Amino acid sequence: METLILVIIGLLVGPLAGGLIAGLDRRVTAWFQSRQGPPIMQAFYDVAKLLGKEKMVVNQWQIICAWVYLIAAATSVALFFAQGDLLLVFFVQAVGAVFLVMGAMAAKSPYSQVGAQRELMQILAYEPILILVFVGFYMVTGSFSIEAIWAQEMPLLAKMPLLYLALGYALTIKLRKSPFDFSTSHHGHQELVKGMLTEYSGPYLALIEIAHWYETILVLGLCALFWHTNVAWMALLLAATYMLEILVDNTMARMTWRWMLKRVWLLGMGLCVVNLIWLYAG
Amino acid sequence: MSNLLLLLILLPAAAAGVCYFVRSSAVRNLTVLATGAILTLASLGLLSHGVFEPIEVGSILGIGSDFLVTVLDFALLGVIFFYGIKHKSILIQAFTAAQAVLLAWFEIVMVKHEAVPALAGDQLSLIMVLVISIIGSLICIFAIPYMKEHEEHLHLKKSRQPRFFFFLVLFLGAMNGLVLSNNVLWMYFFFEVTTLCSFMLIGHDATEIATRNSVRALWMNAMGGLAFVLGMMLVYMEAGTLNIAAILTSGNQTALMLTGLGFLCLAGFTKAAQVPFQSWLLGAMVAPTPVSALLHSSTMVKAGVFVVLRFAPAYAGSFLSTGVAVCGAFTFIACSALGVGQSNGKKILAYSTVANLGLIICCAGINTPLALTAAVMLILFHAISKSLLFLCVGTIEQAIGSRDIEDMRGLYARLPRTALITIIGILTMMLPPFGVLLGKWMAIEASADSNIFIVVMLAMGSALMVVFLARWAGSMMATREEGGRCESQPTLTRLPLLILCLGAVVLSIASPWIYNSLLAPWLGSAPFMVGFGSLESAHGTFVVVPLFLVLGLGLLYAVKAGSGYRKVKVMPPYLGGANSSVDGTYVGPMNGDVPFAAGNMYLGELFAEGKLTPVFNALAVALIVLMLGGAL
Repeated sequence: METLILVIIGLLVGPLAGGLIAGLDRRVTAWFQSRQGPPIMQAFYDVAKLLGKEKMVVNQWQIICAWVYLIAAATSVALFFAQGDLLLVFFVQAVGAVFLVMGAMAAKSPYSQVGAQRELMQILAYEPILILVFVGFYMVTGSFSIEAIWAQEMPLLAKMPLLYLALGYALTIKLRKSPFDFSTSHHGHQELVKGMLTEYSGPYLALIEIAHWYETILVLGLCALFWHTNVAWMALLLAATYMLEILVDNTMARMTWRWMLKRVWLLGMGLCVVNLIWLYAG
Repeated sequence: MSNLLLLLILLPAAAAGVCYFVRSSAVRNLTVLATGAILTLASLGLLSHGVFEPIEVGSILGIGSDFLVTVLDFALLGVIFFYGIKHKSILIQAFTAAQAVLLAWFEIVMVKHEAVPALAGDQLSLIMVLVISIIGSLICIFAIPYMKEHEEHLHLKKSRQPRFFFFLVLFLGAMNGLVLSNNVLWMYFFFEVTTLCSFMLIGHDATEIATRNSVRALWMNAMGGLAFVLGMMLVYMEAGTLNIAAILTSGNQTALMLTGLGFLCLAGFTKAAQVPFQSWLLGAMVAPTPVSALLHSSTMVKAGVFVVLRFAPAYAGSFLSTGVAVCGAFTFIACSALGVGQSNGKKILAYSTVANLGLIICCAGINTPLALTAAVMLILFHAISKSLLFLCVGTIEQAIGSRDIEDMRGLYARLPRTALITIIGILTMMLPPFGVLLGKWMAIEASADSNIFIVVMLAMGSALMVVFLARWAGSMMATREEGGRCESQPTLTRLPLLILCLGAVVLSIASPWIYNSLLAPWLGSAPFMVGFGSLESAHGTFVVVPLFLVLGLGLLYAVKAGSGYRKVKVMPPYLGGANSSVDGTYVGPMNGDVPFAAGNMYLGELFAEGKLTPVFNALAVALIVLMLGGAL
C-alpha cells in the first residue's frame, strides 16, 4: 500500500517538479546571460501549446516511439519511487532511451538520423558509468535495491565521492547539456537544427518533453540517494549539483562525440574504478 | 524413459539416413517435419519425466555400447583425418593424429574399463534437450523452403540437399547425446560428431571461400578436441573415473585435476568460438542461413558453453574459475566492440552471439548459484532470440539480395511482416522485460560480488551491444504506402518465425515459473524467491510480470495511437526549407534536385575489425594461458 502511494506520488510529482526545474533552468540561464528570461511556468505553457497543435509526423513509427519513451520514463520513475532495484530502474530507463533513438532513425531525415547516431554515442558513454555507480551502491549496502540504502546510517557520499563525480559526468550526458548536447542541440538553427528531435512536432514533441521531465527527476533522485540521511543536506546537494550542471551548460561549448567517448571512458570510468577499488578493499 | 533417450539421440541419426539415401524431396521434407515433431514431443516427454539418475545403456545389436562408441570414435577421427589430407591442412592432420594416439593410449593403457552409466539427465540437460530439440527442429523446418530457393539461386544440376539435411538432422541427435552424456568418453564422441557436422555444413556450398572457412573451423575444433582428450586424461588420472556425476561431486581440486578441467574448458572455448577462436564462427557465415542459425543458437556453440557449465561445480572457488570468468567477460566486451564496427547483418549477429556466449561463460566462471542461474537463462533466451534473428536475416536476404543493414533501411515499407518480427527479435535481445536482458541483469548482479575487472567489462560490453542492436532496429522502420500489398511467405517460413517470436515473448513472461520449476531444484541453494511474478534475491528484484503488464499495456496503447496515423499528416522531413517536389531530395545548386541520405556511424577509427582483432586475440591468448597456468 505504502509502495503504491509512493508510486502515485512519483508519477504525479515527477512531471510537475521536472517542469518547474526546466523553468528554473531557463531563468538561471537567463540570469547568467543578463537577460530576464521567461516565467518559471513557461515549460508548462510550452507543452500545453504543443499539445494543442496539429499532429504531423514524417513516419508513423515516431508516434509509437514517442509514446513508449514517455511510458518507459514514467515507469522507471515509478519503480524508483517504489524502492525497486536500481539496475532494473536503469534498464527500464534504457527502453525509453532506445525507443527515442529508434523513433529518430525511423524518420527519413538527415538531421534526425545524425542526431540519433550521436545519441547512441551518448548512451554508449553514460551507460557503463551508471552501471558502475550502481555496483558502488551494491558494494556499500549489499543490495541493488533502493530500500537497502535507507537502512544505511551514513550518507553514501562519504564512501562514494568519486562515484558521485562520475555520476555527475554521466548526468550531464544523460540530460544532454553542453558540452554533451550534440544529439539534440539546445538552440535551434545550429549545425544540427534540433538533432534527433528535429522531426518530432506538436503533441509528440510534448510527449518527449514530459518524458524528459521524468528523466530529470530520475536523475536527481539518483543524486539524492547519496545523502539520504538528512533532507536539508539532500536538498542542498541537489541544488548544488543542478546549479553546477547549469553553469557547465552555459560555459562550455559543444564538444564532439570523439572527445566525449575518450574523456568519459578514461576519466569517468577511472573515477568509478578507483572508488570501487576502495570499496572492495574496505 | 530409456526409449525416450534413444528416440532423442538415435531418431535424428536414422532420419538423417533417410534424408540422405531416399532421394525424393517429398520424402525428405516429410522426414524432416516428422522428426521435428517427434523430437519436440520427446523432449517435452523427457521434461515431464523430470530428472533421472545416471542409467546404463546396455548393448546395441549385441555389441556393448561403450565399445561401439570407442569404435565410432576412431572411425570419426579417421574421417576427420581424411578431410585433413584432402584439404592439405597440416593442422587438422596433426591435431587429429595427436587425438587418435592419445585416445588409443587412454583407452588401452589407462582406463580400467569398469561399467559407467552412460546417460544422465539433470535440469541443465533437460533444458538443453528442450532448446536443441524444439529450436533446432524449427530451424530444420525453416530450411526446407529456404534450401529450395537457395538451390534455385545457385542453378545446381544435382541437388545437394540430401547431404545438407543429413548433417543438419544428425546434428540434433549428436547434441542431444552430448548434453545427456554421463560418461566422459561418450561426451567426447558426441563433441567430435558436432565438429564434423559443422565442418560439413559450413563447407556445404563448396565455393572456395566456403571450403576455406570450413577448413579453418575444422582445425580450430580439432584443437578443441585435442584439448578435450588431454583434459579427459588428466581428470581421469586424478579422479580415477569416467563418470561425470562422480567427478562433479568428488570435491577433488588438486593442481592436476584443475588443469584437466582447464583443458576441458579450453575445449569448450574453441567450440563456443571465444576470442581468439571467434574467426571460425564468423567464417561460418558463408554457409546457408539455416546453418548459421543452428550453429549460433541451439547447437555447436551451445555445446561449448554447456561443457564449461557442466564442469563448473568441479572447479568452483578455484583460480581456474576466476580465469574462466575473466576470459568470458573479455570475450563479451571484445566482441561487443567488434560488433559496433559492422554493417553486415549476419556479422553483427555473429559478434553478438560470441559476446553473449562470453557472458554465459563468464557466469559459469563466477560460479555462484545466482551466476549459474543467469547462465542457463541466457542459454535459453539467447537461443530463441538468436535463431529468430538469423532466420529473419535469411528471409530478408532472399527477398532483397543483401544482408547489409544499410540495405535494410526502411524495410518495413516493403516487407512489413519480416521487418516487424526482426524488430521484435532485436528488442528481445536487449530490452527488459525480455529474457536475455533478465539474464544480463542477473549476470551483472552476480558479477558485483566477484571481481572489479569483470564488472567493468560487463558494464561496457552491455552498452556497446545496445548501440549496434538499436540502430539496426531503428533503421528498418518506415512508413508504409497506403494500400501497399502485404508480403507473402511460404507457410514453412512463416511458421518457425512466428513460433520463435511468440516463444521469445511468452517464455519471457513465464521466466519466474521456468526458474521455479526447472532451475531452482538444480542449484541446491536457490538464489531467487518467486512472488507476485517477480524474481527476488538478496541482491535485488526483477519485477517480471508487473513490468510486462505496464510496458505491454503501454506498448499496446502506443500502437493504438500509432495506428491512427492515417489521421495524422505525414510530412516530408525538414530540410532547411529547401524541400523539392521529389520525395527524398532537396533543392540544390542550379535548382537541381539533390538526393539526401544518412548512414549509420560505424566508428571505424575506434572499432575497426582489422585493427582490433589482432590486439584482442593476443590479449585473449594471454588470458587463456593465465587461466591454465593458474590452475596448475
